[in-house]
Amino acid sequence: MKVRLTLGLVDRPGTLLNVLEQIAIHGGNIISIIHNRDRITAGYVPVSINVEFPSSEQLEKAKSSIESIGVPVMESETLEKKVETFLLIGAIDIDLITSTLQNEGARLIGLSLIGSSKTPCLKLIIDTPLEKRHRLLKSLQSVISSSDCLLIREEEN
Amino acid sequence: MIRALILGYGFLGKALAKRLLNRPVEELKIVGLANSKGYLYKRDGLQLEKIKEPLEDNEGFEKGRATELLTKEYIDLLIELTPTNISTGEPGITHIRTALKEEIDVVTANKGPVLLALKELKRIADEKNVIFKYEGTVGGGIPIFSLVNKCLQGDDIISIRGILNGTTNYILTRMHFEGLTFELALREAIMLGIAERNPTLDVEGIDTAVKILILANSIMNLNKNLSDVKIVGVTKVTPEAISAAKDNGMTIKLIGSIEDGELSVEPRLIRLNHPLCVHGTLNAINIKSNVLKTLTLIGEGAGESTVASLLNDIYDVIKERHSKIKF
Repeated sequence: MKVRLTLGLVDRPGTLLNVLEQIAIHGGNIISIIHNRDRITAGYVPVSINVEFPSSEQLEKAKSSIESIGVPVMESETLEKKVETFLLIGAIDIDLITSTLQNEGARLIGLSLIGSSKTPCLKLIIDTPLEKRHRLLKSLQSVISSSDCLLIREEEN
Repeated sequence: MIRALILGYGFLGKALAKRLLNRPVEELKIVGLANSKGYLYKRDGLQLEKIKEPLEDNEGFEKGRATELLTKEYIDLLIELTPTNISTGEPGITHIRTALKEEIDVVTANKGPVLLALKELKRIADEKNVIFKYEGTVGGGIPIFSLVNKCLQGDDIISIRGILNGTTNYILTRMHFEGLTFELALREAIMLGIAERNPTLDVEGIDTAVKILILANSIMNLNKNLSDVKIVGVTKVTPEAISAAKDNGMTIKLIGSIEDGELSVEPRLIRLNHPLCVHGTLNAINIKSNVLKTLTLIGEGAGESTVASLLNDIYDVIKERHSKIKF
Protein backbone atom coordinates (compact mmCIF):
# COMPACT_ATOMS: atom_id res chain seq x y z
CA MET A 1 0.00 0.00 0.00
CA LYS A 2 1.17 3.48 -0.95
CA VAL A 3 1.01 6.24 1.68
CA ARG A 4 2.21 9.78 2.24
CA LEU A 5 3.71 10.24 5.72
CA THR A 6 4.12 13.84 6.84
CA LEU A 7 6.70 14.03 9.61
CA GLY A 8 7.89 16.88 11.84
CA LEU A 9 11.68 16.70 11.59
CA VAL A 10 14.11 18.70 13.71
CA ASP A 11 16.41 20.54 11.31
CA ARG A 12 19.51 18.62 12.43
CA PRO A 13 21.89 16.46 10.34
CA GLY A 14 21.16 12.73 10.58
CA THR A 15 17.50 12.98 11.65
CA LEU A 16 16.10 12.10 8.24
CA LEU A 17 18.54 9.19 7.92
CA ASN A 18 17.26 7.75 11.24
CA VAL A 19 13.67 7.97 9.95
CA LEU A 20 14.54 6.28 6.65
CA GLU A 21 16.18 3.44 8.58
CA GLN A 22 12.94 2.83 10.53
CA ILE A 23 10.98 2.74 7.27
CA ALA A 24 13.43 0.31 5.68
CA ILE A 25 13.37 -2.01 8.73
CA HIS A 26 9.62 -2.45 8.22
CA GLY A 27 9.86 -3.14 4.49
CA GLY A 28 8.97 0.35 3.25
CA ASN A 29 10.07 1.35 -0.24
CA ILE A 30 10.65 5.12 -0.58
CA ILE A 31 9.04 6.65 -3.67
CA SER A 32 9.81 10.35 -3.04
CA ILE A 33 10.75 12.84 -0.30
CA ILE A 34 9.62 16.47 -0.18
CA HIS A 35 11.05 18.99 2.37
CA ASN A 36 8.63 21.82 3.09
CA ARG A 37 11.30 24.27 4.31
CA ASP A 38 8.97 27.21 3.76
CA ARG A 39 6.62 25.75 6.40
CA ILE A 40 9.06 25.50 9.34
CA THR A 41 7.07 25.71 12.57
CA ALA A 42 8.44 25.63 16.13
CA GLY A 43 11.76 24.34 14.84
CA TYR A 44 10.21 21.48 12.88
CA VAL A 45 10.52 21.03 9.13
CA PRO A 46 7.50 19.19 7.73
CA VAL A 47 8.78 16.42 5.45
CA SER A 48 6.44 14.42 3.22
CA ILE A 49 7.63 10.94 2.35
CA ASN A 50 5.74 8.82 -0.17
CA VAL A 51 6.32 5.18 0.74
CA GLU A 52 5.04 1.81 -0.37
CA PHE A 53 4.60 -0.77 2.42
CA PRO A 54 3.85 -4.47 1.90
CA SER A 55 0.91 -4.29 4.34
CA SER A 56 -0.98 -1.99 6.70
CA GLU A 57 0.54 -3.83 9.69
CA GLN A 58 4.03 -2.90 8.55
CA LEU A 59 2.95 0.70 8.00
CA GLU A 60 1.64 0.88 11.57
CA LYS A 61 4.85 -0.65 12.95
CA ALA A 62 6.96 1.83 10.98
CA LYS A 63 4.90 4.76 12.32
CA SER A 64 5.43 3.55 15.91
CA SER A 65 9.18 3.14 15.31
CA ILE A 66 9.44 6.64 13.85
CA GLU A 67 7.62 8.14 16.85
CA SER A 68 9.80 6.10 19.23
CA ILE A 69 12.88 7.98 17.97
CA GLY A 70 11.14 11.28 18.75
CA VAL A 71 9.83 12.22 15.31
CA PRO A 72 6.10 13.03 15.27
CA VAL A 73 4.01 11.56 12.45
CA MET A 74 1.81 14.55 11.68
CA GLU A 75 -0.25 12.90 8.95
CA SER A 76 -0.60 9.54 7.24
CA GLU A 77 -2.62 9.63 4.04
CA THR A 78 -3.27 6.88 1.54
CA LEU A 79 -2.18 7.46 -2.04
CA GLU A 80 -4.42 4.66 -3.28
CA LYS A 81 -7.73 6.16 -4.20
CA LYS A 82 -10.52 5.02 -6.42
CA VAL A 83 -12.57 7.29 -8.59
CA GLU A 84 -15.83 5.61 -9.48
CA THR A 85 -19.24 6.38 -10.87
CA PHE A 86 -22.49 5.74 -9.05
CA LEU A 87 -26.05 6.12 -10.31
CA LEU A 88 -28.87 6.91 -7.97
CA ILE A 89 -32.32 6.27 -9.44
CA GLY A 90 -35.21 7.93 -7.62
CA ALA A 91 -35.73 11.02 -5.50
CA ILE A 92 -33.47 11.53 -2.48
CA ASP A 93 -32.16 14.46 -0.40
CA ILE A 94 -28.74 15.18 -1.91
CA ASP A 95 -27.54 16.66 1.41
CA LEU A 96 -27.88 13.18 2.93
CA ILE A 97 -25.55 11.82 0.28
CA THR A 98 -22.96 14.60 0.55
CA SER A 99 -22.84 14.38 4.35
CA THR A 100 -22.38 10.60 4.13
CA LEU A 101 -19.50 11.09 1.71
CA GLN A 102 -17.91 13.65 4.01
CA ASN A 103 -18.26 11.40 7.07
CA GLU A 104 -16.60 8.52 5.23
CA GLY A 105 -13.65 10.57 3.94
CA ALA A 106 -14.83 10.45 0.31
CA ARG A 107 -14.97 13.38 -2.08
CA LEU A 108 -17.71 14.16 -4.58
CA ILE A 109 -15.92 15.26 -7.74
CA GLY A 110 -18.82 15.18 -10.19
CA LEU A 111 -22.59 15.44 -9.96
CA SER A 112 -25.19 15.56 -12.70
CA LEU A 113 -28.93 15.11 -12.88
CA ILE A 114 -30.32 13.12 -15.77
CA GLY A 115 -33.98 12.49 -16.45
CA SER A 116 -37.13 14.26 -15.44
CA SER A 117 -38.47 15.10 -12.00
CA LYS A 118 -40.75 12.06 -12.45
CA THR A 119 -37.85 9.66 -13.01
CA PRO A 120 -34.77 11.42 -11.61
CA CYS A 121 -31.36 9.85 -11.92
CA LEU A 122 -28.27 11.29 -10.29
CA LYS A 123 -24.81 10.51 -11.59
CA LEU A 124 -22.17 10.86 -8.90
CA ILE A 125 -18.43 10.61 -9.43
CA ILE A 126 -16.75 9.89 -6.12
CA ASP A 127 -13.10 9.81 -5.07
CA THR A 128 -12.57 7.39 -2.17
CA PRO A 129 -9.44 6.19 -0.35
CA LEU A 130 -9.27 2.48 -1.20
CA GLU A 131 -9.36 1.28 2.39
CA LYS A 132 -12.54 3.26 3.08
CA ARG A 133 -14.42 2.11 -0.02
CA HIS A 134 -16.17 -0.88 1.56
CA ARG A 135 -17.41 1.23 4.47
CA LEU A 136 -18.57 3.98 2.16
CA LEU A 137 -20.64 1.50 0.15
CA LYS A 138 -22.29 0.19 3.31
CA SER A 139 -23.06 3.72 4.50
CA LEU A 140 -24.55 4.78 1.17
CA GLN A 141 -26.66 1.63 1.04
CA SER A 142 -27.84 2.26 4.58
CA VAL A 143 -28.80 5.87 3.73
CA ILE A 144 -30.84 4.89 0.68
CA SER A 145 -32.41 1.82 2.30
CA SER A 146 -35.09 4.00 3.89
CA SER A 147 -36.01 5.48 0.50
CA ASP A 148 -37.40 3.97 -2.69
CA CYS A 149 -34.12 4.66 -4.51
CA LEU A 150 -31.83 2.29 -6.33
CA LEU A 151 -28.08 2.79 -5.93
CA ILE A 152 -26.00 1.33 -8.73
CA ARG A 153 -22.28 1.03 -8.22
CA GLU A 154 -19.51 0.29 -10.64
CA GLU A 155 -18.34 -3.29 -11.15
CA GLU A 156 -14.65 -3.74 -10.47
CA ASN A 157 -12.33 -5.01 -13.16
CA MET B 1 -23.85 -50.61 -20.59
CA ILE B 2 -25.38 -47.83 -18.46
CA ARG B 3 -29.17 -48.05 -18.27
CA ALA B 4 -30.65 -44.58 -17.90
CA LEU B 5 -34.03 -43.12 -17.03
CA ILE B 6 -34.87 -39.58 -18.18
CA LEU B 7 -37.28 -38.27 -15.57
CA GLY B 8 -38.91 -35.06 -16.77
CA TYR B 9 -39.82 -34.93 -20.43
CA GLY B 10 -40.23 -31.21 -20.99
CA PHE B 11 -38.10 -28.96 -23.18
CA LEU B 12 -34.77 -30.21 -21.81
CA GLY B 13 -35.72 -33.89 -21.62
CA LYS B 14 -36.86 -33.81 -25.25
CA ALA B 15 -33.73 -31.90 -26.35
CA LEU B 16 -31.51 -34.50 -24.67
CA ALA B 17 -33.47 -37.41 -26.17
CA LYS B 18 -33.21 -35.79 -29.62
CA ARG B 19 -29.45 -35.40 -29.25
CA LEU B 20 -29.04 -38.99 -28.09
CA LEU B 21 -31.09 -40.15 -31.07
CA ASN B 22 -28.94 -38.19 -33.54
CA ARG B 23 -25.65 -38.99 -31.86
CA PRO B 24 -25.96 -41.96 -29.52
CA VAL B 25 -23.59 -42.27 -26.59
CA GLU B 26 -21.81 -45.57 -26.70
CA GLU B 27 -22.49 -47.57 -23.54
CA LEU B 28 -25.65 -45.58 -22.71
CA LYS B 29 -29.09 -47.04 -23.18
CA ILE B 30 -32.25 -45.05 -22.43
CA VAL B 31 -34.57 -47.58 -20.79
CA GLY B 32 -37.15 -45.13 -19.44
CA LEU B 33 -38.80 -41.80 -20.21
CA ALA B 34 -41.11 -40.29 -17.62
CA ASN B 35 -43.29 -37.24 -17.14
CA SER B 36 -45.66 -36.14 -14.39
CA LYS B 37 -48.38 -38.51 -15.65
CA GLY B 38 -46.44 -41.74 -15.95
CA TYR B 39 -43.65 -43.49 -17.79
CA LEU B 40 -42.48 -45.61 -20.66
CA TYR B 41 -40.08 -48.39 -19.75
CA LYS B 42 -38.37 -51.10 -21.73
CA ARG B 43 -35.79 -53.30 -20.06
CA ASP B 44 -33.60 -53.69 -23.18
CA GLY B 45 -33.82 -50.02 -24.17
CA LEU B 46 -36.38 -47.71 -25.79
CA GLN B 47 -36.22 -46.99 -29.49
CA LEU B 48 -36.03 -43.21 -29.29
CA GLU B 49 -36.89 -42.75 -33.00
CA LYS B 50 -40.29 -44.34 -32.38
CA ILE B 51 -41.28 -42.18 -29.41
CA LYS B 52 -44.40 -40.12 -30.08
CA GLU B 53 -45.44 -36.95 -28.34
CA PRO B 54 -47.00 -36.65 -25.85
CA LEU B 55 -45.47 -39.60 -24.02
CA GLU B 56 -48.85 -40.91 -22.93
CA ASP B 57 -49.79 -41.57 -26.59
CA ASN B 58 -47.14 -44.30 -26.80
CA GLU B 59 -48.01 -47.95 -26.48
CA GLY B 60 -46.93 -49.33 -23.14
CA PHE B 61 -47.28 -46.01 -21.30
CA GLU B 62 -47.89 -46.75 -17.64
CA LYS B 63 -49.71 -44.31 -15.40
CA GLY B 64 -48.04 -43.82 -12.06
CA ARG B 65 -44.96 -42.48 -10.37
CA ALA B 66 -41.61 -42.95 -12.06
CA THR B 67 -40.00 -43.50 -8.64
CA GLU B 68 -41.47 -47.01 -8.92
CA LEU B 69 -38.98 -47.64 -11.69
CA LEU B 70 -36.10 -46.51 -9.49
CA THR B 71 -36.97 -49.00 -6.75
CA LYS B 72 -38.28 -51.93 -8.80
CA GLU B 73 -36.33 -51.99 -12.06
CA TYR B 74 -32.66 -52.23 -12.84
CA ILE B 75 -31.52 -48.63 -13.54
CA ASP B 76 -27.94 -47.32 -13.34
CA LEU B 77 -28.44 -43.62 -14.03
CA LEU B 78 -31.22 -41.16 -13.29
CA ILE B 79 -31.26 -38.05 -15.48
CA GLU B 80 -33.52 -35.79 -13.40
CA LEU B 81 -35.03 -32.96 -15.46
CA THR B 82 -38.33 -32.12 -13.75
CA PRO B 83 -39.18 -28.40 -13.37
CA THR B 84 -37.36 -26.38 -10.69
CA ASN B 85 -39.27 -25.55 -7.53
CA ILE B 86 -37.18 -23.26 -5.32
CA SER B 87 -39.63 -23.36 -2.41
CA THR B 88 -39.77 -27.12 -1.84
CA GLY B 89 -37.28 -28.61 -4.29
CA GLU B 90 -39.94 -31.21 -5.13
CA PRO B 91 -40.47 -33.50 -6.86
CA GLY B 92 -36.75 -33.38 -7.70
CA ILE B 93 -35.45 -33.94 -4.16
CA THR B 94 -37.56 -37.10 -3.72
CA HIS B 95 -36.51 -38.44 -7.12
CA ILE B 96 -32.80 -37.84 -6.51
CA ARG B 97 -32.86 -39.02 -2.88
CA THR B 98 -34.65 -42.23 -3.90
CA ALA B 99 -32.20 -42.89 -6.72
CA LEU B 100 -29.09 -42.29 -4.62
CA LYS B 101 -30.40 -44.54 -1.85
CA GLU B 102 -30.96 -47.24 -4.48
CA GLU B 103 -27.29 -46.81 -5.49
CA ILE B 104 -28.24 -45.17 -8.79
CA ASP B 105 -26.00 -42.40 -10.16
CA VAL B 106 -27.72 -39.07 -10.76
CA VAL B 107 -27.28 -36.27 -13.29
CA THR B 108 -29.56 -33.24 -13.02
CA ALA B 109 -30.19 -29.72 -14.30
CA ASN B 110 -32.85 -29.11 -11.65
CA LYS B 111 -31.80 -26.22 -9.41
CA GLY B 112 -34.30 -26.91 -6.61
CA PRO B 113 -32.70 -30.04 -5.12
CA VAL B 114 -29.19 -28.59 -5.40
CA LEU B 115 -30.32 -25.35 -3.79
CA LEU B 116 -32.21 -26.90 -0.89
CA ALA B 117 -30.66 -30.30 -0.26
CA LEU B 118 -27.12 -30.30 -1.64
CA LYS B 119 -25.45 -31.42 1.60
CA GLU B 120 -27.88 -34.23 2.25
CA LEU B 121 -27.78 -35.50 -1.34
CA LYS B 122 -23.97 -35.37 -1.45
CA ARG B 123 -23.82 -37.25 1.87
CA ILE B 124 -26.11 -40.02 0.57
CA ALA B 125 -24.06 -40.21 -2.66
CA ASP B 126 -20.85 -40.58 -0.62
CA GLU B 127 -22.37 -43.19 1.69
CA LYS B 128 -23.68 -45.23 -1.23
CA ASN B 129 -20.55 -44.66 -3.33
CA VAL B 130 -22.56 -43.28 -6.25
CA ILE B 131 -22.11 -40.22 -8.47
CA PHE B 132 -24.19 -37.04 -8.21
CA LYS B 133 -23.60 -34.38 -10.89
CA TYR B 134 -25.42 -31.10 -11.51
CA GLU B 135 -23.43 -29.11 -14.10
CA GLY B 136 -26.57 -27.95 -15.91
CA THR B 137 -27.98 -26.12 -12.87
CA VAL B 138 -25.88 -22.96 -13.34
CA GLY B 139 -24.99 -21.20 -16.57
CA GLY B 140 -26.64 -23.74 -18.89
CA GLY B 141 -23.86 -25.12 -21.06
CA ILE B 142 -21.04 -23.23 -19.29
CA PRO B 143 -18.92 -25.93 -17.62
CA ILE B 144 -18.30 -24.04 -14.39
CA PHE B 145 -18.28 -26.97 -11.92
CA SER B 146 -16.24 -29.22 -14.20
CA LEU B 147 -13.75 -26.43 -14.78
CA VAL B 148 -13.22 -25.76 -11.10
CA ASN B 149 -13.20 -29.44 -10.10
CA LYS B 150 -10.94 -30.66 -12.89
CA CYS B 151 -8.84 -27.72 -13.99
CA LEU B 152 -8.34 -25.65 -10.83
CA GLN B 153 -7.36 -28.39 -8.40
CA GLY B 154 -5.03 -27.00 -5.77
CA ASP B 155 -6.05 -23.40 -6.42
CA ASP B 156 -8.18 -21.31 -4.02
CA ILE B 157 -11.26 -19.62 -5.43
CA ILE B 158 -11.44 -16.09 -4.00
CA SER B 159 -14.53 -14.74 -5.73
CA ILE B 160 -17.14 -15.64 -8.32
CA ARG B 161 -19.34 -13.14 -10.10
CA GLY B 162 -21.34 -13.10 -13.24
CA ILE B 163 -24.34 -12.53 -15.42
CA LEU B 164 -26.38 -15.63 -14.74
CA ASN B 165 -29.82 -14.83 -16.08
CA GLY B 166 -30.42 -14.60 -19.83
CA THR B 167 -33.85 -12.98 -19.52
CA THR B 168 -32.70 -9.93 -17.57
CA ASN B 169 -29.61 -9.66 -19.73
CA TYR B 170 -31.81 -9.59 -22.83
CA ILE B 171 -34.00 -6.86 -21.28
CA LEU B 172 -31.03 -4.70 -20.24
CA THR B 173 -29.40 -5.21 -23.64
CA ARG B 174 -32.53 -3.98 -25.42
CA MET B 175 -32.72 -1.00 -23.06
CA HIS B 176 -29.07 -0.19 -23.82
CA PHE B 177 -29.10 -0.53 -27.59
CA GLU B 178 -32.66 0.52 -28.43
CA GLY B 179 -33.49 2.90 -25.57
CA LEU B 180 -36.55 0.83 -24.60
CA THR B 181 -38.21 1.17 -21.22
CA PHE B 182 -38.00 -1.80 -18.86
CA GLU B 183 -41.70 -2.57 -19.38
CA LEU B 184 -41.43 -2.57 -23.17
CA ALA B 185 -38.28 -4.70 -23.21
CA LEU B 186 -39.93 -7.18 -20.84
CA ARG B 187 -43.04 -7.39 -23.02
CA GLU B 188 -40.83 -8.06 -26.03
CA ALA B 189 -38.95 -10.80 -24.15
CA ILE B 190 -42.25 -12.49 -23.21
CA MET B 191 -43.46 -12.32 -26.83
CA LEU B 192 -40.24 -13.95 -28.02
CA GLY B 193 -40.49 -16.69 -25.39
CA ILE B 194 -37.27 -15.51 -23.70
CA ALA B 195 -39.12 -14.50 -20.54
CA GLU B 196 -41.81 -16.52 -18.87
CA ARG B 197 -45.38 -15.20 -18.60
CA ASN B 198 -44.65 -14.66 -14.92
CA PRO B 199 -41.14 -13.21 -15.03
CA THR B 200 -40.91 -12.35 -11.30
CA LEU B 201 -38.16 -14.85 -10.46
CA ASP B 202 -35.99 -13.47 -13.27
CA VAL B 203 -36.55 -9.71 -13.03
CA GLU B 204 -36.50 -9.60 -9.22
CA GLY B 205 -33.07 -11.27 -9.24
CA ILE B 206 -34.20 -14.46 -7.47
CA ASP B 207 -33.11 -16.83 -10.25
CA THR B 208 -29.63 -15.26 -10.19
CA ALA B 209 -29.58 -15.50 -6.39
CA VAL B 210 -30.38 -19.22 -6.56
CA LYS B 211 -27.48 -19.79 -8.97
CA ILE B 212 -25.11 -17.71 -6.85
CA LEU B 213 -26.11 -19.77 -3.82
CA ILE B 214 -25.44 -23.04 -5.64
CA LEU B 215 -22.00 -21.77 -6.68
CA ALA B 216 -21.24 -20.51 -3.16
CA ASN B 217 -22.25 -23.70 -1.40
CA SER B 218 -20.85 -26.08 -3.98
CA ILE B 219 -17.62 -24.46 -5.16
CA MET B 220 -16.71 -22.28 -2.19
CA ASN B 221 -18.02 -24.70 0.45
CA LEU B 222 -20.09 -22.02 2.15
CA ASN B 223 -23.24 -22.84 4.05
CA LYS B 224 -25.59 -20.09 2.96
CA ASN B 225 -29.28 -19.90 2.19
CA LEU B 226 -31.46 -17.53 0.20
CA SER B 227 -31.93 -15.12 3.11
CA ASP B 228 -28.14 -14.57 3.15
CA VAL B 229 -28.20 -13.09 -0.35
CA LYS B 230 -28.77 -9.35 -0.79
CA ILE B 231 -31.13 -9.30 -3.77
CA VAL B 232 -32.04 -6.28 -5.88
CA GLY B 233 -33.76 -6.82 -9.22
CA VAL B 234 -33.81 -4.76 -12.39
CA THR B 235 -37.36 -3.41 -12.31
CA LYS B 236 -36.25 0.06 -11.21
CA VAL B 237 -33.65 0.50 -13.94
CA THR B 238 -34.75 3.39 -16.17
CA PRO B 239 -33.77 4.39 -19.72
CA GLU B 240 -32.31 7.58 -18.19
CA ALA B 241 -29.96 5.53 -16.00
CA ILE B 242 -28.88 3.42 -18.97
CA SER B 243 -28.30 6.60 -20.96
CA ALA B 244 -26.17 8.06 -18.13
CA ALA B 245 -24.12 4.86 -18.07
CA LYS B 246 -23.66 4.98 -21.85
CA ASP B 247 -22.27 8.50 -21.63
CA ASN B 248 -19.43 7.11 -19.51
CA GLY B 249 -18.71 4.11 -21.78
CA MET B 250 -20.68 1.81 -19.50
CA THR B 251 -23.97 -0.03 -19.28
CA ILE B 252 -26.04 -1.65 -16.53
CA LYS B 253 -26.04 -5.42 -15.96
CA LEU B 254 -27.53 -7.67 -13.28
CA ILE B 255 -24.49 -9.09 -11.50
CA GLY B 256 -24.51 -11.93 -9.00
CA SER B 257 -21.41 -12.11 -6.84
CA ILE B 258 -19.68 -13.95 -4.03
CA GLU B 259 -17.01 -11.61 -2.67
CA ASP B 260 -15.45 -11.68 0.81
CA GLY B 261 -18.05 -14.26 1.86
CA GLU B 262 -20.88 -11.88 0.97
CA LEU B 263 -23.48 -12.90 -1.59
CA SER B 264 -25.33 -10.31 -3.62
CA VAL B 265 -27.41 -9.82 -6.72
CA GLU B 266 -27.83 -6.27 -7.94
CA PRO B 267 -27.71 -4.11 -11.06
CA ARG B 268 -24.21 -2.69 -11.49
CA LEU B 269 -22.51 -0.27 -13.83
CA ILE B 270 -20.08 -2.12 -16.02
CA ARG B 271 -17.61 -0.86 -18.62
CA LEU B 272 -18.48 -1.91 -22.16
CA ASN B 273 -15.03 -3.50 -22.54
CA HIS B 274 -15.30 -5.42 -19.23
CA PRO B 275 -14.91 -9.19 -19.75
CA LEU B 276 -18.29 -9.79 -18.09
CA CYS B 277 -20.11 -7.35 -20.38
CA VAL B 278 -21.95 -9.73 -22.69
CA HIS B 279 -25.23 -8.96 -24.43
CA GLY B 280 -28.47 -10.63 -25.42
CA THR B 281 -29.27 -13.85 -23.60
CA LEU B 282 -25.60 -14.72 -23.04
CA ASN B 283 -24.27 -15.52 -19.56
CA ALA B 284 -20.76 -14.80 -18.30
CA ILE B 285 -18.97 -16.05 -15.19
CA ASN B 286 -15.72 -14.64 -13.82
CA ILE B 287 -13.62 -16.50 -11.28
CA LYS B 288 -10.79 -14.99 -9.28
CA SER B 289 -8.33 -17.36 -7.66
CA ASN B 290 -5.00 -17.21 -5.91
CA VAL B 291 -2.94 -18.99 -8.54
CA LEU B 292 -4.74 -18.57 -11.88
CA LYS B 293 -5.80 -15.01 -10.89
CA THR B 294 -8.75 -14.44 -13.23
CA LEU B 295 -10.76 -16.40 -15.74
CA THR B 296 -14.00 -15.56 -17.57
CA LEU B 297 -16.35 -17.99 -19.26
CA ILE B 298 -19.05 -16.87 -21.69
CA GLY B 299 -21.88 -18.94 -23.11
CA GLU B 300 -25.60 -19.48 -23.54
CA GLY B 301 -27.02 -19.82 -20.05
CA ALA B 302 -30.19 -21.74 -20.80
CA GLY B 303 -32.12 -23.64 -23.42
CA GLU B 304 -30.69 -26.36 -25.61
CA SER B 305 -27.08 -25.55 -24.72
CA THR B 306 -27.74 -27.04 -21.27
CA VAL B 307 -27.69 -30.41 -23.07
CA ALA B 308 -23.91 -29.92 -23.38
CA SER B 309 -23.63 -29.96 -19.58
CA LEU B 310 -25.89 -33.00 -19.30
CA LEU B 311 -23.83 -34.89 -21.87
CA ASN B 312 -20.59 -34.02 -20.11
CA ASP B 313 -21.99 -35.26 -16.80
CA ILE B 314 -23.25 -38.47 -18.48
CA TYR B 315 -19.80 -39.12 -19.98
CA ASP B 316 -18.22 -38.49 -16.56
CA VAL B 317 -20.53 -41.07 -15.01
CA ILE B 318 -19.64 -43.62 -17.68
CA LYS B 319 -15.89 -42.98 -17.25
CA GLU B 320 -16.03 -43.06 -13.44
CA ARG B 321 -18.02 -46.30 -13.50
CA HIS B 322 -15.39 -47.79 -15.82
CA SER B 323 -12.51 -46.76 -13.58
CA LYS B 324 -14.32 -48.24 -10.56
CA ILE B 325 -14.83 -51.55 -12.37
CA LYS B 326 -11.12 -51.69 -13.28
CA PHE B 327 -10.12 -51.28 -9.66
